Amino acid sequence: MKSFLLAALALSLFACQSKEEILHEQYVIEGRIQYENNCANCHQSNGQGLRNLYPAISKSTLSAPELARLIKQGRKSATGYMPANPKLQAIDIAEIITFMRHEWGKNEQTFSFDSTRIVLKGIN
Amino acid sequence: MPHKLIYLVSFALLVFSCTQDKKLPYLGKHETRVVDGKTDTVYHQIPPFKFLNQDSVWVSEKDMAGKIYIADFFFTSCPTICPKMKTQLVRLYERYADNDQIRILSHTIDPAFDRPYVLKKYANRLQVQAPRWNMVTGDKQAIYTLGEKSYMVTAQEDKNEVGGFVHSGAFILVDKQRHIRGIYDGTKEDEVNHLIEDLEILLKTN
Repeated sequence: MKSFLLAALALSLFACQSKEEILHEQYVIEGRIQYENNCANCHQSNGQGLRNLYPAISKSTLSAPELARLIKQGRKSATGYMPANPKLQAIDIAEIITFMRHEWGKNEQTFSFDSTRIVLKGIN
Repeated sequence: MPHKLIYLVSFALLVFSCTQDKKLPYLGKHETRVVDGKTDTVYHQIPPFKFLNQDSVWVSEKDMAGKIYIADFFFTSCPTICPKMKTQLVRLYERYADNDQIRILSHTIDPAFDRPYVLKKYANRLQVQAPRWNMVTGDKQAIYTLGEKSYMVTAQEDKNEVGGFVHSGAFILVDKQRHIRGIYDGTKEDEVNHLIEDLEILLKTN
Protein backbone atom coordinates (compact mmCIF):
# COMPACT_ATOMS: atom_id res chain seq x y z
CA MET A 1 0.00 0.00 0.00
CA LYS A 2 2.70 2.41 1.07
CA SER A 3 4.80 1.81 -1.96
CA PHE A 4 1.76 2.20 -4.15
CA LEU A 5 1.09 5.65 -2.66
CA LEU A 6 4.68 6.58 -3.09
CA ALA A 7 4.62 5.55 -6.70
CA ALA A 8 1.43 7.51 -7.29
CA LEU A 9 2.95 10.57 -5.65
CA ALA A 10 6.06 10.27 -7.74
CA LEU A 11 3.99 9.85 -10.84
CA SER A 12 1.84 12.89 -10.13
CA LEU A 13 4.92 14.98 -9.37
CA PHE A 14 6.49 13.88 -12.58
CA ALA A 15 3.31 14.58 -14.50
CA CYS A 16 2.95 18.04 -12.94
CA GLN A 17 6.46 19.04 -13.75
CA SER A 18 6.30 17.83 -17.30
CA LYS A 19 3.02 19.59 -17.93
CA GLU A 20 4.75 22.92 -17.49
CA GLU A 21 7.70 21.71 -19.43
CA ILE A 22 5.49 20.52 -22.23
CA LEU A 23 3.79 23.90 -22.39
CA HIS A 24 7.14 25.65 -22.52
CA GLU A 25 8.32 23.30 -25.20
CA GLN A 26 5.19 23.95 -27.21
CA TYR A 27 5.86 27.68 -27.00
CA VAL A 28 9.43 27.17 -28.18
CA ILE A 29 8.46 24.90 -31.07
CA GLU A 30 5.63 27.14 -32.24
CA GLY A 31 7.81 30.18 -31.67
CA ARG A 32 10.52 28.77 -33.89
CA ILE A 33 8.03 28.34 -36.74
CA GLN A 34 6.63 31.84 -36.23
CA TYR A 35 10.15 33.23 -36.11
CA GLU A 36 11.08 31.53 -39.37
CA ASN A 37 7.94 32.82 -41.07
CA ASN A 38 7.93 36.36 -39.77
CA CYS A 39 11.38 37.39 -38.58
CA ALA A 40 14.12 35.27 -40.15
CA ASN A 41 13.72 36.92 -43.54
CA CYS A 42 15.61 39.95 -42.28
CA HIS A 43 17.11 38.94 -38.96
CA GLN A 44 18.23 35.54 -40.37
CA SER A 45 17.59 32.09 -38.96
CA ASN A 46 20.55 32.40 -36.62
CA GLY A 47 19.41 35.79 -35.33
CA GLN A 48 22.59 37.47 -36.52
CA GLY A 49 20.94 39.95 -38.87
CA LEU A 50 22.68 41.33 -41.95
CA ARG A 51 25.59 43.68 -41.28
CA ASN A 52 24.22 47.03 -40.09
CA LEU A 53 21.10 46.77 -42.19
CA TYR A 54 19.16 44.31 -40.07
CA PRO A 55 20.15 44.23 -36.40
CA ALA A 56 21.26 41.01 -34.74
CA ILE A 57 18.32 40.25 -32.49
CA SER A 58 20.26 37.48 -30.87
CA LYS A 59 22.05 40.33 -29.09
CA SER A 60 18.94 42.36 -28.36
CA THR A 61 18.84 43.98 -24.93
CA LEU A 62 15.14 44.84 -25.09
CA SER A 63 12.83 43.55 -22.38
CA ALA A 64 10.06 41.15 -23.28
CA PRO A 65 7.30 43.81 -23.12
CA GLU A 66 9.37 46.16 -25.26
CA LEU A 67 9.95 43.37 -27.75
CA ALA A 68 6.27 42.46 -27.87
CA ARG A 69 5.29 46.02 -28.70
CA LEU A 70 8.07 46.37 -31.27
CA ILE A 71 7.02 43.19 -33.05
CA LYS A 72 3.40 44.28 -33.17
CA GLN A 73 3.86 47.93 -34.06
CA GLY A 74 7.12 48.04 -35.96
CA ARG A 75 9.39 51.05 -35.80
CA LYS A 76 10.46 53.89 -38.00
CA SER A 77 13.51 55.82 -36.96
CA ALA A 78 16.40 57.74 -38.42
CA THR A 79 18.54 54.63 -38.36
CA GLY A 80 16.10 52.14 -39.77
CA TYR A 81 12.71 50.74 -40.35
CA MET A 82 10.95 47.63 -39.19
CA PRO A 83 7.49 46.85 -40.53
CA ALA A 84 4.59 46.32 -38.14
CA ASN A 85 3.07 42.86 -37.84
CA PRO A 86 -0.63 43.50 -37.36
CA LYS A 87 -1.45 39.91 -38.26
CA LEU A 88 0.51 38.44 -35.36
CA GLN A 89 -1.70 37.76 -32.36
CA ALA A 90 -0.70 37.85 -28.70
CA ILE A 91 -0.19 34.10 -28.63
CA ASP A 92 2.13 34.22 -31.66
CA ILE A 93 4.19 36.99 -30.13
CA ALA A 94 4.36 35.18 -26.77
CA GLU A 95 5.71 32.15 -28.59
CA ILE A 96 8.25 34.14 -30.57
CA ILE A 97 9.62 35.84 -27.47
CA THR A 98 9.75 32.55 -25.56
CA PHE A 99 11.62 31.04 -28.49
CA MET A 100 14.09 33.95 -28.60
CA ARG A 101 14.75 33.64 -24.87
CA HIS A 102 15.35 29.93 -25.26
CA GLU A 103 17.53 30.24 -28.33
CA TRP A 104 19.69 33.23 -27.54
CA GLY A 105 18.94 34.35 -24.00
CA LYS A 106 19.67 31.11 -22.16
CA ASN A 107 16.40 31.86 -20.44
CA GLU A 108 13.86 29.06 -20.15
CA GLN A 109 11.09 31.19 -18.76
CA THR A 110 7.89 31.21 -20.77
CA PHE A 111 6.67 34.66 -21.72
CA SER A 112 3.02 33.82 -21.37
CA PHE A 113 0.05 34.54 -23.53
CA ASP A 114 -1.53 36.50 -20.65
CA SER A 115 1.53 38.70 -20.15
CA THR A 116 1.64 39.44 -23.85
CA ARG A 117 -2.05 40.28 -23.91
CA ILE A 118 -1.62 42.74 -21.06
CA VAL A 119 1.39 44.35 -22.74
CA LEU A 120 -0.42 44.68 -26.04
CA LYS A 121 -3.65 45.99 -24.54
CA GLY A 122 -4.97 48.88 -26.60
CA ILE A 123 -2.71 48.10 -29.56
CA ASN A 124 -4.31 46.64 -32.62
CA MET B 1 43.06 -7.80 -74.86
CA PRO B 2 39.91 -6.33 -76.39
CA HIS B 3 38.39 -5.86 -72.95
CA LYS B 4 41.17 -3.62 -71.82
CA LEU B 5 40.87 -1.57 -74.97
CA ILE B 6 37.20 -0.97 -74.39
CA TYR B 7 37.90 0.16 -70.86
CA LEU B 8 40.62 2.44 -72.08
CA VAL B 9 38.46 3.99 -74.78
CA SER B 10 35.51 4.52 -72.51
CA PHE B 11 37.77 6.00 -69.87
CA ALA B 12 39.26 8.37 -72.40
CA LEU B 13 35.77 9.31 -73.53
CA LEU B 14 34.75 9.96 -69.96
CA VAL B 15 37.75 12.16 -69.34
CA PHE B 16 37.13 14.00 -72.56
CA SER B 17 33.47 14.59 -71.78
CA CYS B 18 34.39 15.86 -68.34
CA THR B 19 36.90 18.36 -69.59
CA GLN B 20 34.57 19.73 -72.22
CA ASP B 21 33.46 23.17 -71.15
CA LYS B 22 29.86 23.74 -70.27
CA LYS B 23 28.62 26.55 -72.46
CA LEU B 24 26.18 29.13 -71.18
CA PRO B 25 23.15 29.96 -73.31
CA TYR B 26 22.32 33.36 -74.73
CA LEU B 27 18.90 34.19 -73.33
CA GLY B 28 16.29 36.28 -75.06
CA LYS B 29 15.25 36.73 -78.64
CA HIS B 30 17.84 36.06 -81.32
CA GLU B 31 17.75 37.93 -84.55
CA THR B 32 19.45 37.02 -87.76
CA ARG B 33 20.96 39.66 -89.91
CA VAL B 34 22.42 39.22 -93.36
CA VAL B 35 25.59 41.20 -93.87
CA ASP B 36 27.45 40.88 -97.21
CA GLY B 37 25.70 37.64 -97.98
CA LYS B 38 26.62 36.13 -94.58
CA THR B 39 24.02 35.35 -91.96
CA ASP B 40 24.82 36.72 -88.56
CA THR B 41 23.02 35.92 -85.31
CA VAL B 42 22.40 38.94 -83.12
CA TYR B 43 21.76 38.12 -79.50
CA HIS B 44 19.45 39.98 -77.19
CA GLN B 45 21.42 42.80 -75.59
CA ILE B 46 20.76 45.16 -72.68
CA PRO B 47 20.26 48.58 -74.33
CA PRO B 48 22.07 51.72 -73.19
CA PHE B 49 20.83 53.13 -69.87
CA LYS B 50 21.66 55.98 -67.53
CA PHE B 51 20.78 56.11 -63.84
CA LEU B 52 22.01 57.84 -60.68
CA ASN B 53 23.76 55.70 -58.09
CA GLN B 54 24.06 55.98 -54.30
CA ASP B 55 26.84 58.55 -54.69
CA SER B 56 24.69 60.65 -57.06
CA VAL B 57 27.00 59.67 -59.89
CA TRP B 58 25.67 58.70 -63.32
CA VAL B 59 25.98 55.03 -64.11
CA SER B 60 25.51 53.90 -67.69
CA GLU B 61 26.22 50.90 -69.88
CA LYS B 62 29.68 52.40 -70.42
CA ASP B 63 30.52 51.68 -66.78
CA MET B 64 29.68 48.02 -67.38
CA ALA B 65 31.88 47.74 -70.46
CA GLY B 66 34.27 44.84 -70.02
CA LYS B 67 32.53 43.80 -66.81
CA ILE B 68 30.41 40.81 -66.00
CA TYR B 69 27.54 41.97 -63.85
CA ILE B 70 24.65 40.71 -61.80
CA ALA B 71 21.49 42.80 -62.06
CA ASP B 72 18.50 42.79 -59.73
CA PHE B 73 15.41 44.84 -58.85
CA PHE B 74 14.51 45.82 -55.29
CA PHE B 75 13.42 48.68 -53.05
CA THR B 76 14.91 49.70 -49.74
CA SER B 77 11.70 49.44 -47.69
CA CYS B 78 10.82 46.00 -49.06
CA PRO B 79 9.81 43.70 -46.23
CA THR B 80 9.41 40.48 -48.20
CA ILE B 81 11.98 39.03 -50.58
CA CYS B 82 14.60 41.79 -50.78
CA PRO B 83 16.25 40.89 -47.46
CA LYS B 84 16.86 37.39 -48.77
CA MET B 85 18.17 38.74 -52.07
CA LYS B 86 20.46 41.19 -50.33
CA THR B 87 21.79 38.41 -48.08
CA GLN B 88 22.80 36.52 -51.23
CA LEU B 89 24.20 39.60 -52.98
CA VAL B 90 26.35 40.35 -49.95
CA ARG B 91 27.67 36.81 -50.28
CA LEU B 92 28.56 37.45 -53.95
CA TYR B 93 30.05 40.85 -53.11
CA GLU B 94 32.31 39.28 -50.49
CA ARG B 95 33.27 36.36 -52.69
CA TYR B 96 34.42 38.60 -55.52
CA ALA B 97 35.80 41.39 -53.37
CA ASP B 98 39.12 41.30 -55.22
CA ASN B 99 37.79 40.73 -58.71
CA ASP B 100 37.51 43.95 -60.67
CA GLN B 101 35.79 42.19 -63.58
CA ILE B 102 32.59 41.74 -61.60
CA ARG B 103 29.91 44.26 -60.73
CA ILE B 104 26.53 44.25 -59.03
CA LEU B 105 23.80 46.54 -60.36
CA SER B 106 20.70 46.88 -58.16
CA HIS B 107 17.81 48.92 -59.58
CA THR B 108 15.23 50.39 -57.25
CA ILE B 109 11.63 50.03 -58.37
CA ASP B 110 10.55 52.70 -55.89
CA PRO B 111 12.56 55.65 -57.22
CA ALA B 112 10.20 58.23 -55.70
CA PHE B 113 11.32 57.14 -52.22
CA ASP B 114 14.69 55.62 -53.00
CA ARG B 115 16.58 58.79 -53.84
CA PRO B 116 20.36 58.59 -53.99
CA TYR B 117 20.73 59.63 -50.34
CA VAL B 118 18.34 56.83 -49.27
CA LEU B 119 20.33 54.34 -51.33
CA LYS B 120 23.51 55.74 -49.79
CA LYS B 121 22.27 55.08 -46.26
CA TYR B 122 21.19 51.60 -47.30
CA ALA B 123 24.55 50.84 -48.92
CA ASN B 124 26.41 52.20 -45.91
CA ARG B 125 24.49 49.96 -43.56
CA LEU B 126 25.23 47.01 -45.83
CA GLN B 127 28.86 48.15 -45.85
CA VAL B 128 29.13 48.01 -49.63
CA GLN B 129 30.46 50.54 -52.13
CA ALA B 130 30.22 51.74 -55.70
CA PRO B 131 31.45 51.03 -58.31
CA ARG B 132 31.59 47.36 -57.34
CA TRP B 133 28.00 47.51 -56.18
CA ASN B 134 25.93 50.23 -57.77
CA MET B 135 22.45 50.87 -56.42
CA VAL B 136 20.66 52.99 -58.97
CA THR B 137 17.56 55.14 -59.21
CA GLY B 138 16.00 57.17 -62.01
CA ASP B 139 12.88 57.57 -64.08
CA LYS B 140 10.34 55.03 -62.87
CA GLN B 141 9.01 54.08 -66.27
CA ALA B 142 12.50 53.73 -67.67
CA ILE B 143 13.40 51.32 -64.86
CA TYR B 144 10.21 49.28 -65.26
CA THR B 145 10.59 49.08 -69.03
CA LEU B 146 14.24 48.08 -68.76
CA GLY B 147 13.29 45.41 -66.22
CA GLU B 148 10.45 43.90 -68.18
CA LYS B 149 11.65 44.30 -71.76
CA SER B 150 15.38 43.90 -71.38
CA TYR B 151 16.07 41.93 -68.20
CA MET B 152 12.87 39.92 -68.67
CA VAL B 153 11.73 40.18 -65.04
CA THR B 154 8.62 41.53 -63.34
CA ALA B 155 8.79 44.99 -61.81
CA GLN B 156 5.59 46.86 -61.13
CA GLU B 157 3.71 48.96 -58.66
CA ASP B 158 0.92 47.07 -56.92
CA LYS B 159 -1.05 48.60 -54.09
CA ASN B 160 -2.30 45.17 -52.99
CA GLU B 161 1.17 43.83 -52.46
CA VAL B 162 2.95 44.10 -49.09
CA GLY B 163 5.27 47.07 -49.46
CA GLY B 164 3.36 48.36 -52.51
CA PHE B 165 5.40 46.81 -55.30
CA VAL B 166 5.55 43.47 -57.00
CA HIS B 167 8.84 42.34 -58.39
CA SER B 168 10.70 39.18 -59.10
CA GLY B 169 13.58 38.03 -56.95
CA ALA B 170 15.67 37.23 -59.99
CA PHE B 171 19.39 37.75 -60.37
CA ILE B 172 20.33 38.29 -63.99
CA LEU B 173 23.82 37.32 -65.10
CA VAL B 174 25.04 39.64 -67.85
CA ASP B 175 28.27 39.12 -69.76
CA LYS B 176 30.83 41.68 -70.93
CA GLN B 177 28.90 42.32 -74.14
CA ARG B 178 25.67 42.88 -72.15
CA HIS B 179 24.08 39.60 -73.21
CA ILE B 180 21.99 37.76 -70.63
CA ARG B 181 23.60 34.40 -69.84
CA GLY B 182 21.48 33.21 -66.94
CA ILE B 183 18.55 34.09 -64.68
CA TYR B 184 18.44 32.75 -61.11
CA ASP B 185 16.17 32.97 -58.09
CA GLY B 186 18.05 35.34 -55.83
CA THR B 187 16.07 34.35 -52.76
CA LYS B 188 17.46 30.81 -52.72
CA GLU B 189 20.97 29.94 -51.67
CA ASP B 190 21.33 26.89 -53.93
CA GLU B 191 20.12 28.84 -56.98
CA VAL B 192 22.75 31.45 -56.24
CA ASN B 193 25.30 28.62 -56.03
CA HIS B 194 24.37 27.83 -59.64
CA LEU B 195 24.90 31.45 -60.51
CA ILE B 196 28.39 31.25 -59.01
CA GLU B 197 29.18 28.12 -61.06
CA ASP B 198 28.03 29.86 -64.25
CA LEU B 199 29.87 33.02 -63.34
CA GLU B 200 33.08 31.02 -63.01
CA ILE B 201 32.54 29.61 -66.52
CA LEU B 202 31.93 33.09 -67.84
CA LEU B 203 35.10 34.38 -66.18
CA LYS B 204 37.10 31.78 -68.06
CA THR B 205 35.51 32.30 -71.46
CA ASN B 206 34.14 35.80 -71.64
